[in-house]
Amino acid sequence: MAFVQSYAAPRHCLGSVRSAILGASFDNGREVALEPQGEWERLLTAANAGDGAAFARFLTLITPVMRGIIRARAGTMGSDEHEDILQEVLLAVHLKRGTWQGDRPVRPWLYAVARHKIVDAFRKRGSAIQVPIEAFEETLPAERSDEPMAARDLSAMLDQIDERSATIVRAIAIEGESAETAGERVGLSAGAARVSMHRAMKRLSALAERMTR
Amino acid sequence: MSERQTTEDLIASLAAMPAPPRLRMSRIALQIVGLVGIGLVLLLIGTGLRPDLAHALTTPVTLAKNAIPLALAAIALPAAMMTARPEAEPPVWLLLLPAGLAAALFVATLAETPVAQIPRGIMGNTVAACLTSITVLSLTPIVVGIALMRRGATTRPTLTGALIGLASGAGAAAGYALHCAEDNPLFYVTWYGMGICIATLIGAVLGRRWLRW
Repeated sequence: MAFVQSYAAPRHCLGSVRSAILGASFDNGREVALEPQGEWERLLTAANAGDGAAFARFLTLITPVMRGIIRARAGTMGSDEHEDILQEVLLAVHLKRGTWQGDRPVRPWLYAVARHKIVDAFRKRGSAIQVPIEAFEETLPAERSDEPMAARDLSAMLDQIDERSATIVRAIAIEGESAETAGERVGLSAGAARVSMHRAMKRLSALAERMTR
Repeated sequence: MSERQTTEDLIASLAAMPAPPRLRMSRIALQIVGLVGIGLVLLLIGTGLRPDLAHALTTPVTLAKNAIPLALAAIALPAAMMTARPEAEPPVWLLLLPAGLAAALFVATLAETPVAQIPRGIMGNTVAACLTSITVLSLTPIVVGIALMRRGATTRPTLTGALIGLASGAGAAAGYALHCAEDNPLFYVTWYGMGICIATLIGAVLGRRWLRW
């Protein structure tokens, strides 16, 4: 996971990879602080046991991620409305947090709650916008891009595919190396590395779909 | 940025609220089972068990009259409870097994019944009592069950309501079969099936209205 902390290099490249994978554009200039796995679970467990500070921290952590998902789904909607929807999501997270089973990962639960509220919010506003994010890739505003957790999601997803593909994706797409160099690293020809990268990106998109839907 | 401030305020106020209690699906399930049970006991005290019950339960085709609805209820109730979690994928397809068995039983009986006797076989003598009992017995558990499920976070209100209706109707039918002496599958698959479908429909309609969040 260390690569996310140390990328710094070609940011434009990283931005496009992230929008391709996560369906959201974010392009932050600062270093990304990584939380240990299970941080969200720990916080929500404490929160549900009555720790208000832990719940505040939990909501603060998920806010940028939720904002990213909302923006990815809303596309043309104004950012004031994004913020309204975000608040509806946060409120629902509070009201329904008793339905999270403490022994399960929090993300599937959280994304399901968010998706439900977001779809509902769009329905209420009479605009069922379901345009694929690729359509906005070039025009998405780069503001409000404080989304460290999204980068963490990227690394979590990379952990879910096989080591060699993950290495290639990191090398080519994130660190901006050539296919030749990246291929050499894992013992593949440049062509094979490109094919492997292409396949890995497809799998990552599928993973991201599951996370944001 | 005033918008941003509002969201932070919201987080602070949500964190200050008491945590909702953890949802215990098994308690809701128990209450539904209990309500179906109470209704059935009252019905059977009022109308009595069929006199040849012990013998009837040793005949497979007659036993199926209890067993198939019981299987439907045993699948539908846990599935309904699962949907209280937003991320859950209840194994609804399992319902096809008992439903398919009932259909097969119906078709097999149809094939060996002389055409002239089919209408009488289907109509039987107690259609009204059968439909009324199953529907009325399932009403209280449906209403109470759905009201309790409001504390859950189903992302599919209609499905949750329908599953509660199905569980209640099928449970009622399984119990009613202890009283009912019509053992022709043409009769009971048709009318038990109809009663269970009515209960399912009632549940679906109520769920759609009450389980939104």
